[in-house]
Amino acid sequence: MTTFVFRNQTVEPFLGYDGMTYSGYGDISQVPDEVDRYIWFYQVPPVADATRLAQEINSYRDQLDLVMGAASASKPFVIFSLVNLFPMRLTGCEHEVEDAIVDFNRHAVNLAAQHDHVKWVDFDEFVCRYDSATLIDWKYYLMSQTLLNPKLKNDFSLWWRRVEEEHALMRKKCLILDLDNTLWGGVLGEDGIDGIKLGGDYPGRAYTQWQETLLQLSRTGVILALCSKNNETDVQEAWDKNPFMVLKREHFSAMRINWNDKATNINALAEELNIGLDSMVFIDDNPSERELVKQLLPQVEVPEFPDKPYQLMPFFKRLVDDYFRIYTVTSEDLSKAEQYQANALRRAEQSRFADLDEYLYSLDIQIDVLPADEHNMQRIAQMTQKTNQFNLTTRRYTQAEVQQRLDDGWLVYCMRVSDRFGDSGITGTVFLEPAGENGVNIDTLLLSCRILGKGIEDAFVKTVLNLLRLDGYRELTADYLPTAKNGQTADFYDRLGMTCEATDEDGSKHYRMPISDVFEIKNCYNIRVL
Amino acid sequence: MSLEENVLDIMRRVFEMDEVNTDASQKNCERWDSLHHLMLASELEEFFDIELEPEEIAEMTDFTRVVDMVKSKM
Repeated sequence: MTTFVFRNQTVEPFLGYDGMTYSGYGDISQVPDEVDRYIWFYQVPPVADATRLAQEINSYRDQLDLVMGAASASKPFVIFSLVNLFPMRLTGCEHEVEDAIVDFNRHAVNLAAQHDHVKWVDFDEFVCRYDSATLIDWKYYLMSQTLLNPKLKNDFSLWWRRVEEEHALMRKKCLILDLDNTLWGGVLGEDGIDGIKLGGDYPGRAYTQWQETLLQLSRTGVILALCSKNNETDVQEAWDKNPFMVLKREHFSAMRINWNDKATNINALAEELNIGLDSMVFIDDNPSERELVKQLLPQVEVPEFPDKPYQLMPFFKRLVDDYFRIYTVTSEDLSKAEQYQANALRRAEQSRFADLDEYLYSLDIQIDVLPADEHNMQRIAQMTQKTNQFNLTTRRYTQAEVQQRLDDGWLVYCMRVSDRFGDSGITGTVFLEPAGENGVNIDTLLLSCRILGKGIEDAFVKTVLNLLRLDGYRELTADYLPTAKNGQTADFYDRLGMTCEATDEDGSKHYRMPISDVFEIKNCYNIRVL
Repeated sequence: MSLEENVLDIMRRVFEMDEVNTDASQKNCERWDSLHHLMLASELEEFFDIELEPEEIAEMTDFTRVVDMVKSKM
């Protein structure tokens, strides 16, 4: 195979000489016919004048279009993404070079999406392995215009060979998933709908993230299927009732939830989906199930499953790299292009906000305040056990103790928070103990630290106080009990407008306040009382 | 392998030629052009873990001078 390389730097050490012909530096006047393939491999030259460099990079796009127009559409055309190997930003606010690079890459991705013969190579995937001192050897750049360090040529060759192989590689079509200890922690049949580990703190969070990531994968066209030893009614109930379930019935194209052996089930799935066993990947935490499938259905890929839930994300990445990566024309690249657009948009947005409130408003923060019930009580107890920083009294409760307080007539609310970037789940709670005729004491008030910093604590407490007011409560008392970790809440009640009536030797503070006027809450939150 | 043999080996690999001998020079070896010269320098730096200055690289015009340069660095 012969290849013609368009380049603006010396890239011969990396792509080699065998079958390769190179253009002059930045020369597009020749587009030879008599080759089997074209490669476009430009690099961002180290130029200090950002405006001039941005113009230069913008011109690459026009050059690429000219070359593409002249090259035969029947021959592969490989475009390397542009990467700034040596960003020189002389002032803090220069974006023109980055913008130009993003524009070029977006254009290249779009070309790859529109034309079957165009392939886009993410050069950054190689570059990001190295620090800037390793990437460039200035001696070789100045002697021979080799910006990328020639000592990286062996690494580059290995990477490039893999890219070329994957260009030709067939993507797997279907991912078959187990449920218990695979899509969630624990065993549904034993732990129950609210007992399985999903959502909330680790390890539940790890499984939610894993489900979200799988959902994204399915959006790139990978078929998801289920193969689990479970009662289907239990699973359906979990889908219906567990609020943290991301992957539900509608996301699976086919499923076998029964007590048959998994090889039989996978055969049936292949038949139902009308795809070959060799385009299936089977994920199961149970080594004996994996072994059975490996033995009976050797065409099915069966990767090892990680021991620890926190290893699910690297596992996912490997899964994609090994089986589901698409290099040619790609929805993956398309979504990457959308990401670029989103980043550009986000940059534009950052400068647009006049103040913090406006920014908060744009986040679409949704705060749901809901009373404790059987679905969230375990989470509430768990939060009292674990939360240290934003916790006014740091009293620890078991689930049974929470139930006991409810039976004693206490009011317990919790809060669920989401914004346009995602759902944080139940992340705050308040325990209110009736005191006297129409008074109420805040026994416990805490918020998970992952949602702090957006004024949510304020909105939550004020919403609850407004509820209390409607219920006829007229007086509020509260305590701040200092610990080694909750210093950030020392002034919380002062800021809320409460009066500190006493301070103990250990720093504990005792507050009182009448509940008379409606508390005003910033309108940057959507608040629902459920 | 002696240092000389190692250098010959590197030259064969860089120039992609089976026959490179101790007489080789930029003048008599077709593949030994300026770019291969730099690749040779880069490979020598890596293999012997040495640093060559641009002026020194320019002086290494034949096998003997390459060997002398490498020896002077070690």
